[in-house]
Amino acid sequence: MEPLLSVEHVTLRFSGVLALADVSFQVPTGAFYAIIGPNGAGKTSLLNVLSGLYRPQQGHVRFDGRDLDGRSPQARTRLGLGRTFQNLEIFRGMTALENVKLGADLRFGYPALLPRARREQAARAWAEEVMDYLHLAPYRNVPAGRLPYGLQKRVEVARALAGRPKLLLLDEPMAGLALEEKQDLARYLLDARREWGVTLVWVEHDLRAVMELSDGVLVLSYGEVLYEGEPAGARENPRVVEAYLGAEA
Amino acid sequence: MFFELAKTLTDAYSRRFARAVRETYAADEAYASTPLGRAGLAFLLLALLAVPLLLPGYPVYVLTLVAIAAVGALGLNLLVGGAGQISLGQAAFLGVGAYAASHLAGPLAPLGILLGGAVAAAIGVVLGLPSLRIKGVYLAIATMAFQFLALWVFNNWEPVTGGIRGRNLPPAEVLGLELDRAERLWYLVLAFAVPLFFYGKRLLATRAGRAWFAVRDNDLSAQVAGVNLTLAKLSAFALSAFYAGIAGGLLANLYRSVTPEYFLFGISVQYLAMVIVGGAGTVLGAVLGAVFVMLIPELLNAVVGAFGPEYAAALAAWRNVAFGGLILLFLILEPLGLVGLWGRIRAYLRTWPLPY
Repeated sequence: MEPLLSVEHVTLRFSGVLALADVSFQVPTGAFYAIIGPNGAGKTSLLNVLSGLYRPQQGHVRFDGRDLDGRSPQARTRLGLGRTFQNLEIFRGMTALENVKLGADLRFGYPALLPRARREQAARAWAEEVMDYLHLAPYRNVPAGRLPYGLQKRVEVARALAGRPKLLLLDEPMAGLALEEKQDLARYLLDARREWGVTLVWVEHDLRAVMELSDGVLVLSYGEVLYEGEPAGARENPRVVEAYLGAEA
Repeated sequence: MFFELAKTLTDAYSRRFARAVRETYAADEAYASTPLGRAGLAFLLLALLAVPLLLPGYPVYVLTLVAIAAVGALGLNLLVGGAGQISLGQAAFLGVGAYAASHLAGPLAPLGILLGGAVAAAIGVVLGLPSLRIKGVYLAIATMAFQFLALWVFNNWEPVTGGIRGRNLPPAEVLGLELDRAERLWYLVLAFAVPLFFYGKRLLATRAGRAWFAVRDNDLSAQVAGVNLTLAKLSAFALSAFYAGIAGGLLANLYRSVTPEYFLFGISVQYLAMVIVGGAGTVLGAVLGAVFVMLIPELLNAVVGAFGPEYAAALAAWRNVAFGGLILLFLILEPLGLVGLWGRIRAYLRTWPLPY
């Protein structure tokens, strides 16, 4: 079976700086796939290539049987490639519910200038279901910018999940969260995978969480792939250990 | 004893009207879903219909101007408060609508006004194109350039605009009735304005509104959230211009003449002031802003007039100062605009007289 996402020989340069060097990997359907690496390894750049914000100079990205090369970010989202950001890109002036409904519009869309009551209600019902799942219902009418940080992160995840992505890219979803919040988030993500069949790809610095949750891992350093495979194998790989701990180790 | 009585009364009031529980998502999203809300809406519509019967000519004329301005301001609010694209060209779109409508006047006036909206919307799409590349202040300057370009066209394209002298219109006619006075034209204005208000309110509460707000808050992540940036921006520009075009067409039929000086740059600024003073991103804000910006100068006029003619000249300058000061005061004390003020009054009244 063809993997859901396959990245083939992607190279990305910013005027001389090599951000990604010949990166290739595959994510099977239903995986919980992690991308890790030291700061500046190119993890976020890789996500930006996947969601269409950066154009790589070389290489291809295939998703769900289609070539993604040259497609705009919104086109990729419509194909089922969801995304959350490291620095919280929620819509601060909109309420939590409006944020999630914006995600739900991907499923229940209609020509925007011709409001359709039934579609709106279907979108609302679905958005409420997603919010229920993530325990966001009490905050539905609060402007998202006024929610505490952890809840804002959750709103962003809810917005992305409301679009029923086939694959969700998460950029450091756990950064800045307390331990309990991390545990909650892990549970929401695992539930989403089981319930809605969402494949997950996440960039994360919390290695313990990565090792416990992920079933595949890609280790990057200075744009190069150091390791690809089972999380357990990464710990034993000498190149990975060196990149994280320095040469002396 | 007194407090118990008051409590019983407010409880009964709450149960019956104010906090009637909304049990479905549909009821939660409908406007005027409570009996009190419905009664208020019906009363408001009736009051609007009764305006020419209750008031003498000049106030009706002023209110007609206010209603027309509110349509234009609502359009601008969809663009500025909704999609977050600042435009300093709303007066130019009023002009486009007015000139277009001036070519289909008299018995065809309603069609002419629609034509004004359509032509303005088409030009609005063109003006929206630069917004795909430039943002913020730079876009504001681009729209300002459009404003001056449009004025030049109004002044010089004589076959269509009549040049500096402008064009005169016969009175609008509906079903054989000449709408030659504001008391009559008022109803034509309502026939356009009321549906446009409901449409605008609906749009802001549904998919279009969400897409616009998302673009306003963060256009990069709006794209990643699946919003078609091009469509969202262009539709906001087109709609904003459409509302302005309709307003311009109505204005032409009210003044019965169209000349370039109705559409100067200052008017564009005035419309932006309406949006900001009223409250960006809401329909009510546009209406309140239009009322404020159009009525306060009238009231100040009346105050100045009350001092007698010998002081009028000296006080005229102070009238403008007072107007500017009031706007500043609002921006400082209530950044959410008149809508924010209204929201607080409502929250207070909802629990009055026993807030806890």
